[in-house]
Order: sequence, then structure tokens, then C-alpha cells
Amino acid sequence: MPRRVAIVGVGLTRCSSWRKDVAYPELVYEATSAALQDAGITPNDVNAVVYGCMDPFDGVNAPEKWNVDACAAAGMLGKPYLKISTGGTTGGSTALAGYYHVASGLHDVVLAVASQRVGETLEAQLVLNTAVDPVYERGFGVGAIAIAAIQACSHMHAYDTTEEDLALISVRNHENALNNPYAHLRIKFSVEDALSSPMLSWPLRLSDCCPSSDGACAIILASEEKARKLARQPAWITGAGQITDNYFAGDRAWYEDWDSLAMLARRVYRLAKIDDPMRELDVAELYNPFTIQEILEYEALGFCEPGKGAEMVRQGVTAMDGQLPVCPSGGVLSTNPIGASGLIRVAEAALQVMGKADQRQVPNVKTALAHAWGATIGFHTLMILDREAP
Amino acid sequence: MTSQQEEPLTIDGRWDIPYRHTAGQAATRFFRELKENKRIMGARCPSCRRVLVPPRSFCERCFVPTEEWVEVEDKGALISFTIVYAQFTSLPPPPYCIGLIKLDGADTGLMHYVGGVDLQDLEAAKKALSVGMRLQAVWRAEREGKISDIEYFRPA
Amino acid sequence: MCREGRVSSRVCIVGVGQTHHRGPGGSLAYYEIAFQAARAALEDAGLTRGDIDTVLASGWDVLDGRTISDMYIVPAAGGYLKDSAKVADDGILAFAYAYMRIASGAFDTALVMGHGHVEGPTELVSNVAMDPFFYRPLGMSATAALALQASSYAARYGVSEGLAAAVVEKNRRQGVNNPYAHLRSAITRDEVLASKMVASPLRELDCRPESVGAVALVLSSEDRAKRIASRWATVEGIGWATSSYYIGATDLWRLGALANAAQQAYGMAGIDDPLAELDVAEVHDMTSYHELMAYEGMGWAQEGSGGRLLEEGATSMEGRLPVNPSGGALSTNIGAGTGLARVAEAALQVTGRADGRQVEARTALAHGMSGLAGSIGQTHGVVILRGR
Repeated sequence: MPRRVAIVGVGLTRCSSWRKDVAYPELVYEATSAALQDAGITPNDVNAVVYGCMDPFDGVNAPEKWNVDACAAAGMLGKPYLKISTGGTTGGSTALAGYYHVASGLHDVVLAVASQRVGETLEAQLVLNTAVDPVYERGFGVGAIAIAAIQACSHMHAYDTTEEDLALISVRNHENALNNPYAHLRIKFSVEDALSSPMLSWPLRLSDCCPSSDGACAIILASEEKARKLARQPAWITGAGQITDNYFAGDRAWYEDWDSLAMLARRVYRLAKIDDPMRELDVAELYNPFTIQEILEYEALGFCEPGKGAEMVRQGVTAMDGQLPVCPSGGVLSTNPIGASGLIRVAEAALQVMGKADQRQVPNVKTALAHAWGATIGFHTLMILDREAP
Repeated sequence: MTSQQEEPLTIDGRWDIPYRHTAGQAATRFFRELKENKRIMGARCPSCRRVLVPPRSFCERCFVPTEEWVEVEDKGALISFTIVYAQFTSLPPPPYCIGLIKLDGADTGLMHYVGGVDLQDLEAAKKALSVGMRLQAVWRAEREGKISDIEYFRPA
Repeated sequence: MCREGRVSSRVCIVGVGQTHHRGPGGSLAYYEIAFQAARAALEDAGLTRGDIDTVLASGWDVLDGRTISDMYIVPAAGGYLKDSAKVADDGILAFAYAYMRIASGAFDTALVMGHGHVEGPTELVSNVAMDPFFYRPLGMSATAALALQASSYAARYGVSEGLAAAVVEKNRRQGVNNPYAHLRSAITRDEVLASKMVASPLRELDCRPESVGAVALVLSSEDRAKRIASRWATVEGIGWATSSYYIGATDLWRLGALANAAQQAYGMAGIDDPLAELDVAEVHDMTSYHELMAYEGMGWAQEGSGGRLLEEGATSMEGRLPVNPSGGALSTNIGAGTGLARVAEAALQVTGRADGRQVEARTALAHGMSGLAGSIGQTHGVVILRGR
């Protein structure tokens, strides 16, 4: 079995629509130096680095080559350095890669970094359109919003999900972000405000959609021996995995059911020995760039029966004072530096377990879940973190 | 590092990279059939027997090449859709409706425009379109061997 | 640094598959080519898609002309609904990640895919890898960067263009024996020197061609290999590193990251005298000069003396340490799949299956470098294999 791995440090940057105060390596340095400081280590203590971002958004191909020395001086110190790129799951994938770096036995202390400067892409949907198969599907102007809208159309058709439910998700996430100094959008508004925001791609409105953000995130992963020395309360990785579904958007007729996520959840819960997620999880950082996806995620992750996700929202089960708070950080709805967002979910979950989530801390967190999705909604990553080692 | 008073320097960038994408064997035939024979072809996997539309040269589940070509109908059911009202740089001017359509005889959905419906008025559009409704392809008179040889699918 | 002996499981290559590399054009989409390589690798390993636990893809979206290109590659590599990821770099780095996945014990088998297609202008694509402020406006591109490095190396150590041309002559001669290579015609030193100057000192024939093809490897734990295979190549050592970005801040005339990567790999494999202990090597010869620099980065020759090894014939087929029996990248360059192809060739060597280009070999070294992205091939990976 893989050896035990824990997260022992986290670094975040302030996210905004455009961090024009910094050049790319400086933005990354902000996250990595914070993570090193949080773990109480120096660059020399880092054995390897793994870096994630989606390439086209930053206007520089392979920015990790440019940023190498902002990552614990990886270039100057000649450390193993690997780049991960898997669409929206990139940040989650990067955390997973960091996990395998340590679990393999090859490295004891690993820095995992993810960044994105969506602010430097003047039109993000155009870039996302290039993800769609150019031979058959790209010509239709499909970007991420359209696919999420199709998910919403199906779910609303199959179940009693309403636009009000979506608006409530938006309101809650943005309110949570007020407690998060690193979040991009930190605004308070009402369901009525949300419902009067412009319709972008029916049934999704502006309020249902995430912003485009600049930001970076870094975490430090360590072997058991190192983790126990470095952190008072490490966040132990008890389950981790990712899945790749097919890319043709038309291959899944059942958009109301996020089956690839359900499949992954079964695998990862088994690894983490979780039978009843609602009872055993204390907080969940879900990847919710579009409100409808939060509902689909509740259902796929087994928080409730299929079709009952909206009910959970109405009853406040996933609000900050509910049974299973979702996205205390404000989620991707509030902050979306795409390639980094998946790692931010892991970082936020780790902070919750480590008891270091300041104003957004959920009381008594033992077990946290971090999720990300990507591609034409066919990629997912999942990680379960716990106060106790597996 | 930079002082508060200095306005940060920015420069403009643009990637203008020309590509020529190889469509592959399956797509080449699909588009030829659209153009020359005004018909929609799918590829059947010899193992799971699914008819894949658009066709592809291998089935990713069974991991075998697909060799059997099957004609599917140019009509089918609307699986799901969205109506885009926002203008994104270099993407089509709104409003337009993107739908996933399960053509009769196919096991996978085809992405295409849904038209022949007034999309300007959202409430009217929502009445005119529904999941499961029947649609019929509207073909262009002059076909070029592209997905746009079908102009859109209209309510049948 | 790597920790020898701490891995849960040793990792073996139990299957190799590649397509016949060709020039640009052709009727297959890049993922269809990848599918062929994956099928061939599975067949070679005697396995089915169902036996594979995890799939690792490689390459750059910008080369493929679409973001999230792994959406296409992973299913083509057999990864549908599997736990898969993509390393955005040369395939040798995806190999490193696959290695770690199996070494951890979390997975028992893996398929690694490297592919190369030419659907866009590679030099322009490499230009957008440069930062927009200092290098891109100067028209810096991969070949220009490699040329700067070659120029620096040649000037510092007095390496003649004739010597560089001899590398090309050797590799192109050897490429004739490789049924999978794109270019299978020998050329002379004079022909190299008569070819057009591209970016001094690099002439056209000093540079790798643009080839289309794919290569896939099936990996497994050692326990599994023993149960399913009759012959396999075990990973004895592995290392990878990336050097600093700013061209003016590094010693251009040496491949520093390669030296780091090689040290990691030698350390794990317990190799003290690589020239003596290695039987064959597949090196990523992005240019003729880079092969000579690689000899030095690997510690086979003192800095500046790589050329001497070549002149002595030490790295030809009959020499002490044959380098690039496959013909190297100078004979066949499938983009980001080229480093992985070096690993494939090394695996074929130590399992006695390198038809037509076989060297008597028990221990092989494979080297891959990141040619497209970064300022000057910043990233290098080294894998040491032993045959069973």
C-alpha cells in the first residue's frame, strides 16, 4: 500500500480579475513563499516540485518554465520538476501528482504549485472553445458556459430544480467569500439581485457563473516522518483519485446525472473507508464554477439521492451552519484562476482539517473533501483529507 | 518590489497560430457523405454494437477499430439544449441555440444548432423547445462537406 | 533527491508499441495515431485495456492546436473512465510520473503515451513559450535557442562544425536500421555542411526533422511482470530536472539540468562509472551539438571533450558505448513523444528485441529533453533500464 502522505503547509495569493501589480514569477512566488513559511521550511528542504496550469490562458505557453525559480528555487537547485495540465482539474491533478511523488517513496517533501492568469487572456471563452473538438463540435461556439447550461437544462427537466435554487447557491457562495481574504469576488447580494442579472446561456445567468481570475496556490506535501515533525496537525490524505470520461459532449445523453463523478466517488470513498459521506464528511470544497454543478455534485457524491440536490440547498444543509458546509471559501463561483482552482479546493480543505481556516473555519473538522472537474465535464479529481493518518 | 506610484507596464500579446487539423478517416467519410449523398453516417463498434455519431475510428470503451458504417436518420430527439444570449469574442452573435440531438439509429448525441424558433424572446423559446421533442435536419442547398451542411435542426 | 530502496515496488516495462514514423501530412488524426501505438503496446504486453490501471499522456496543447488535448489522447491511449493524467512535457516526464504511480503501490499497471503530429508551425508555437517581455519580441524560438546554446558550446570548446556533422552522419547511418524511423537514408558529413544555415551554427541537417508518429509503453510492478511477461526491462534509476529560465543566468555551454537528472538516476541505480557500466544509450539529440553536450552532461566525458568520444568511435555501433542505435531524434522526431521513444528503444535493446539495430546490452540509458517549451531545453529526464 502507498506510504502515508500529509499536507503540512498552504500558501494562497489574493485573487483578482487582473493582478497587474505582479509579473508571473512574482505571483507564483507569493504563493510558494507563503507555503514554505506556513510549513516552516526552506527551499533546500524541498525534494521535488510539481506545477500545474492550463497553458493557453496565460498567453505564455508553459509558464512553469518561466516560473521555475519562483518555486523553491527549483531551477537553481536542480530539483525534479514536473508540469501537469488536465483542464479544469489541473489543480486537483497537481495535488494528486504531489501525492504520488511522496507516496512513491522517491521524495519526502514536495511542493505542489498551481497558477493561472486568466486576467491576461482577454477572452477566456474563446480559449475554452478550442477545447471542443474542432472537427465536429467547435463550430457551434460552445464554451464552458454552454455545457453547464446543458447540464442545467437536463436537471431542471428531470427534477424540480428551479432558477431560484441556483440563485440561492450563488448568494451563499458569495457570502462565504466575505470571510476569505484571498477570494476574488467578495460581494453580498440577494436572490432577487441574482435573478435579475443578465441571462448568458439559458438557463444560466451572470450570477450563476464564476469570474475569471488571476491567482496562484501552493501546498507542501510530506511523508509521515517529515509530516509529524513539520505540522502540529497535518492534513492526512486518506483517499485520492481522478477519472477521465470521453470528450464528445454528445456521448452522454444523461446530463442530469454526473456519472463519471459518481464512479470516482465510489472508488475514492472505498480507499478512504467512507460509507456514509453525509455523516462522515465535515466540510466539502466542491468545484462549482456554475451554480447548477453544485447540485449535480451533491447527488453524484452521494450526499443525497438523485434529484434531491435542490432540496438540500433549500433546507440549508450545505450552508455554513448546516450539516455539511460546502465551499466555506466561496468556491469557484467567487474565485476562478482556472488551473489553480482545483488546488485551492485542496488547500482550503487542508486548512479546514489543520484548523487554520481563520474566519471561514468550520468547527471541529475531522474529514474534508476536495473536488475538481474539467474538460467537457468529463474529468474529475477527488481527495479526502483527515485529521488522523490512514 | 514596484513602488506604489508606478503604473505597471503591460504589453499586448496575441497568438495567431495557424493550424491545419487532420480530420481522420472517419470524419473524412462522414463529411463526404454529408456533401455528396446528403446522409448522416455513424460508425458501429463491432464489440459493444453502439452506433457512434459523429463517427470515430475506434470505440474508446472496447478499444477496437470501428469498421462498419451505418446510415442514421436526419431526425431525432432533443436531449438537452441551451440558448446563448451573450456575445463572446469571435464566437457567433447571439441568440443561438445549441442542442444535443439523438438521431434515430444513433446511440450517441450529435451537437448542432436548433433553429426555426424565435429565440429573441426567452419565454416564447422555452415554450417552443423542450427536452425530448422531435427535430428534423434542415439541409443547405449547397453543401461543402462540413458540419454546417446541415444548417440547423427544426421542430418536426 | 531520490531515495533508493524506499519505493514500494520496482517498476518494469512489459510492452512497447510504436507506429511507423512519417513526415508531416497523412490521413490520420493525431489521436488515431496514438490509438495505434497503444494497441500495439498492449498486444506486445499480452494485455487488454481492462488490465491497465492508469494512463499517462504527454505533450503540449499548443502543439496539438487545442486546449485540454489530453481529452483526446487519454481515451486513445486506453484511458476511458480510468484514473489518468497528463504531464505537459516530453513523454519521458510522463514516464517519470507513471513510474511514481506504480512505485507507490497504488497502481499495478500503467500505459504511457507520447505522440507527435505536425498541424501547426512548431517554431511559432515555441515562440509563444517565451515570456512576452524579454524573449518573444526578439523572435526567440526553440531552434534559435538551441542555436544560441550550440554556438556558446562550440565557441568555448572549439568544437568544429565538421565534428557536429559527424554526429549527424553517425545517427543517420544508424537510423537506416530502424524500421520505425522517419528518415532512413544515410548522409555524409559534406552533405550536412552543404545544407542551408538555419540559425548559426545550426544547419538544416544539424537539426531534427519534423515527424509524425506515436509511441506507447506498458509498465507494471515487478511482481506483476513476473506473472505476465517472459521478458521485461526494469527501471533501475530515474531522474529529472529543470534549469533556470533566464538565458543569461545559466552556463549556456553545459546541460546543467541533464547533469542533475543523470546524477539522480545514477545514484538510484548504483552506477559509479557510467561509461563502463552502461552498454547502450539513447540520447535526445535535438541538434548534433546537443548530442555532444549530452555526453558531457551524463558524465561520460569532461566538459568540452564530448567530441573526442565521438572521434574515437566510442559511441558508434562497435564502440564502447553505442549511442542512438535507433538513429536518434536526428532520424525521427515525433515532437513531445521523442524522449519517450528513447525509453522505448532502450527497453527494446535490453530485452533483445531491437531488430536490425541490436547491441549486446543488459543496461541501457534513455535521455529525453523538453525541446519546445522553456527558454533553452530547460528540462531533462534520464531513465536507466536493466534487462531481464
